[in-house]
Amino acid sequence: MKDLPEGMYAELESALGEDNVSRHPAVLDGYAWQPIFSLTSQKWIPRPAAVALPRTTEDVQAIIKLCNRYQVKFKAHSTGWAAWGGPSREGEIQIDLRRMNRIIELDPKNKFAVVEPYVSCGQLQAEAMKHGLTCHIIGAGPNTSPLASTTSGWGYGGTGLSTGFGGKNPLGVEWVLPDGEVLKLGSPGSGDYWFSGDGPGPSLRAVMRGFSGLQGSLGVFTKCAIKLYPYYGPREPKIEGVLLDVRTEVPETEKMFWIIAPSYKKFADLSYEIGNAEIAYWWCRSPLGAGVDLFMPRAGDRIFESRQLKAVFDAFQHLGVALLSSESKREIEYQEKVLRKITLDHDCILLDLSKAPGYGFWWWTMGVRSILTALTFRAGGDFLTSYGSPVEYDNAVRQAEVATKCKQKYIDRGTFKEDNGDIGWGGIYEGTANWGHCEMAAMFDRRDGRGDERVEYLEESAETTVENTLGVGLSNLPPGAWKIYGPQVYNYHLWQARIKKALDPGRVGDEEWYVPPIDEIEKEEKSG
Amino acid sequence: MSDLAALKNDMEGCSRCSLCKWIPQAQIKSWRFAKGCPSVERYSFHAFSGGGKLIASNSLLEGRCGLDETLMEIIYKCQLCGACQVSCQAYRDDIDLADVLLALRSRCVSEGCVPEEHIFVFDSMKKEDNTLGMLKADRGKWADGMALPDINTQKVEVLFHAGCRYSYDDDLQDTVRGWAGLFSDAGVDIGIAGREESCCGGRVFEMGYQAEMTNFAEDMISRVKASGARTLVTACSDCYYTFKYLYPRSGHELGVEILHATEFADSLIRKKDIAPRREVPMKVTYHDPCHLGRRGEIYKSGWTGDNKLLRPVRFKQMGNMGVFDPPRDVIRAVPGVELVEMERIREYSWCCGAGGGVLEAYPEFASWTAAERIEEAESTGAEAIVTACPWCERVFRDEVEESGKEMKILDVIDLLSMSLGGE
Repeated sequence: MKDLPEGMYAELESALGEDNVSRHPAVLDGYAWQPIFSLTSQKWIPRPAAVALPRTTEDVQAIIKLCNRYQVKFKAHSTGWAAWGGPSREGEIQIDLRRMNRIIELDPKNKFAVVEPYVSCGQLQAEAMKHGLTCHIIGAGPNTSPLASTTSGWGYGGTGLSTGFGGKNPLGVEWVLPDGEVLKLGSPGSGDYWFSGDGPGPSLRAVMRGFSGLQGSLGVFTKCAIKLYPYYGPREPKIEGVLLDVRTEVPETEKMFWIIAPSYKKFADLSYEIGNAEIAYWWCRSPLGAGVDLFMPRAGDRIFESRQLKAVFDAFQHLGVALLSSESKREIEYQEKVLRKITLDHDCILLDLSKAPGYGFWWWTMGVRSILTALTFRAGGDFLTSYGSPVEYDNAVRQAEVATKCKQKYIDRGTFKEDNGDIGWGGIYEGTANWGHCEMAAMFDRRDGRGDERVEYLEESAETTVENTLGVGLSNLPPGAWKIYGPQVYNYHLWQARIKKALDPGRVGDEEWYVPPIDEIEKEEKSG
Repeated sequence: MSDLAALKNDMEGCSRCSLCKWIPQAQIKSWRFAKGCPSVERYSFHAFSGGGKLIASNSLLEGRCGLDETLMEIIYKCQLCGACQVSCQAYRDDIDLADVLLALRSRCVSEGCVPEEHIFVFDSMKKEDNTLGMLKADRGKWADGMALPDINTQKVEVLFHAGCRYSYDDDLQDTVRGWAGLFSDAGVDIGIAGREESCCGGRVFEMGYQAEMTNFAEDMISRVKASGARTLVTACSDCYYTFKYLYPRSGHELGVEILHATEFADSLIRKKDIAPRREVPMKVTYHDPCHLGRRGEIYKSGWTGDNKLLRPVRFKQMGNMGVFDPPRDVIRAVPGVELVEMERIREYSWCCGAGGGVLEAYPEFASWTAAERIEEAESTGAEAIVTACPWCERVFRDEVEESGKEMKILDVIDLLSMSLGGE
């Protein structure tokens, strides 16, 4: 176990208080266990040398300045779910932001909230609902940090059609740079209110997060103003149950449908039409095979062994979930008419979920709070995603096609749980923009000792992404992915490497999930 | 249950999603009351959460850390309230978080690494058959003057078990006298063991002294058998959990119907054997005791496989089959009482702070946890927290007294007594 340089721990204690720093092995191991997206066959990720719990922006600055003085790398996380939030080498400082947990402000009139890192999507949505508003919740679920997905992650959720995705939602941002200085982006940067991310004041959204976020590799985001969106359901919904037993009444201004398309192409075309018609609150591809493993995990293997039942699931493979939501019943009736016409025009089947028993379950758990993703753990205890480039939506749907073929080989080998191959999940962002993403989930039991095979799959998925010109895969970015993807996309990594050098002169930000400074890349290139 | 190594697969199943830190996501209604785990809320480091303890257990098994004072505090600064298990098992079929927490404590006991205050409790159990360091001879004094049948000398239909806290805590004896008197007045053939009653053993089991519970369970079984009772009623939620879950889990069967006093009262009200009549104009909220609610769920025996991924859902301890509605039904049966709910209720209730040996070893943490709950109760506009457990009532009363808050702390029986004309 690599320790901190002499004197640094005492200074951390002095800055934060003894109770807010630890180097006890049992405490540190709480930060060395990050199975999700830990793209190696190792059980543990590197253990940090210490963990620090800041309460304020000044605390974060103090930690980072100490890191610069002692030349110790740091990595911060908010809710801390996934390997990219942990250290990539022993001897680093893990900054756990869970004490920075306040909603600083919720401005219903201007539809945004200013949050600290450890506010969860569930908390923010619950508070926003009281004002007839909601926030974007990424697919991982409401236990994640909206600040993290907005400033630092790629972040897509099923409501992308109406609430955008992570990168679209930041307004003013407070950012502690890797040298310890505070930079305020957007309107707060000119001493103004939090209402804008693009000025008056510096607009550095591209540097801050770019397309897919830097996974906390370039400093710490301590406050972020996040856009909120209209929510038309009840402001204090009465929900019974905790997950699979959830029951509730659905207001008549909300209506949910399953739509089944006959092919990948028809599904993409249908999606474009929905976007162009500017209807629907949620539109997301959710293949039926995934549902088996989420809701009947022990039945999956047997069901898919049956050729006849498999054929049925294949017929319903291209399933999408649509939620219509509006202020008025008449508007919902209009949207439903449009949806029905689009469905017919594209030879699709439309199922009205409001006629189904337990309809409230689907509305609340999927359409509003987005809490079903973690059910993927039921099948094997773990899952990963792959592919998932945000691109024109027909290309996104094509990813599901390519990914299914790639994944099926590994299902046949037993690397992944049988799920009928296609769990290409994702929808369109922002209505008429007509772009979106489709990521391929795979379920497995990481205790089976076959981690190397899964790494092999991820490598193959990256290769097929390049071969099929599917864009830059988001959710399969292993450390060093820039080496594969950079040359494909205008050598973007060289720009990032220059930014890294400029903003992190002491090179203390853990860069494993980002890029090294430009001089190192140039040195590598020169040495061949 | 005591073999930590046997649970390694559960530990390694943790995805570190941290759902264990929150109440179930479907039920989050506000920023303020979204959290579910007192331990990690108070001490912040991930190791204090349910998932964090899975990881710490695995680290311990793999020799990455040792069992020392710091790890012991992580393990024991936890009420074993079970909130983490509810939020985890909603998603996970293959992790029995609560079992790991119990096994960790057993490991602590076997290595002699336990809080000193728990040793006092353990010694008291051995010497005086109670957890409070009181004299065995004084155990039955709570019933002095009540003329309740003594099961040591006569057979009864219903055995009433008072439990340690009610037997010895002067402030709370009205509660247990109230329950026993209510049932007796309703014509129930109810008896007590008086001086011969002893601890159920549940509290020391939770502290990690698992083997010790066997003696108390066997003692209890023989006493129940001798009493001729067909039903065992207790007003103590800790005892209820022990009889309903821990005993069968450890292979001990009492062989009688086990009811909490609120369940029994609810059935008597339905049969009109008890008829609350007087108006009690009071706005109250009900606090679900962990040991009566989510942890009071009957032990679901019968599954014996190795791979929990294949375990049918009906064998999971989800916590949703505890006792939630009977106490509420009894409260609603009292005319004039308005019952308002807190945000965190039923199987996702916030703990009172007293459980798992925390009240004994870390009273400041117990008070902090209770204060959180009292604040939540205040947010409903209720003038009283009603509960059904002596440990909850004790820690709430102490916190109210310490903080000078106005909140009244009542047991369900207090409302019934007011309505029936009692004190």
